[in-house]
Amino acid sequence: MMLGHVAPSGATRKFSTMRYCKIALLFALVALTGCTYNPPKMATTRADGLAAWQQVYSVLTHPRCITCHTATDYPQQGDNRHRHFANVVRGTEGKGVPALQCATCHQGSNADSTGVPGGHDWHLAPLSMEWQDLNDKILSSAEVCKAVTDRSKNGNRDGAALLKHHTEEPLVLWAFQPGRRIDGSMRTLPPLTHEEFVAATRKWIETGTPCPQTP
Amino acid sequence: METYNIIVNGLAKRVSVDPGTPLLWVLREELKMTGTKYGCGIAACGACTVHLGGVATRSCVVPISLLGSRPIVTIEAMADDPVGRAVQDEWVSLDVVQCGYCQSGQIMSAVALLKSVPKPTDKEIEESMGGNLCRCATYVRIRQAIKSASQRLKT
Repeated sequence: MMLGHVAPSGATRKFSTMRYCKIALLFALVALTGCTYNPPKMATTRADGLAAWQQVYSVLTHPRCITCHTATDYPQQGDNRHRHFANVVRGTEGKGVPALQCATCHQGSNADSTGVPGGHDWHLAPLSMEWQDLNDKILSSAEVCKAVTDRSKNGNRDGAALLKHHTEEPLVLWAFQPGRRIDGSMRTLPPLTHEEFVAATRKWIETGTPCPQTP
Repeated sequence: METYNIIVNGLAKRVSVDPGTPLLWVLREELKMTGTKYGCGIAACGACTVHLGGVATRSCVVPISLLGSRPIVTIEAMADDPVGRAVQDEWVSLDVVQCGYCQSGQIMSAVALLKSVPKPTDKEIEESMGGNLCRCATYVRIRQAIKSASQRLKT
């Protein structure tokens, strides 16, 4: 008998056979259960896109955004979206009228010492971008989505331009830093942070800007 | 406290105030220009209206820190302004004023309107002047005076 090499006994052969069977069984289980490496899930499905849109919609319909997306000839204000005081009207360019412009009170940034919000080029969204009806009722998710994606109404913005608008537009940015009310308290914020809002917009655009079915 | 260099009625002024101080109080308290009135302090009445960079502005809600380089024009300069002069003359001619407290703001808004719309309609007057309140309810005479000033400026 040579040293260093021991002929397998019957028990050893039985152990090896069992080990191979177990490994084979493991591979079979892996194959059956799909227990393989999954890369991070990309927003590729319509369902993903619709879920992202609902997040975007939750921001667009928050008072910090929608009070200037009216269907009427006046802006709203406050969390209850009441008609803007002092008989403020839209005017031909959405910036008020000659002696009562938005800029009559709203400056280039928030005036926290006096409670007046402000941002660059403060103005109403054009009527084509209305997200409410004439009774100040907020439009449905499907209706707002349709309006936002209609290039004849949205300022001829494609997906990239919509993303840029949500990312950079000063008045969009203002909604996430709306400053203090006249009583010194902070104005309420949209339900997402700006970063989350932009991420949701990006995901919605990556999936082809899907819109919910009109009810 | 911060120091600000501002232009009021064409003159350079230097004031040292808290950055949150409304323009109204800079005019009245620091510069002793009391023609501009305090009415409500929340931009709801229009008594404090001045022109900021040519725009009718509620001075009670604009902190001095947000003025930038925009020139300020107040009621004190209206007599030397052609449109302002015409409006003031018609105000006197039609005896618009009752108590008079709101009238400097009314005139500043009326001048801003006429400089933008030389011949305003009733609707344009109502919309532009809608934020200027008058407890004496001189609105009918205000409207007539604006129309008369418009006519005077055309001739």
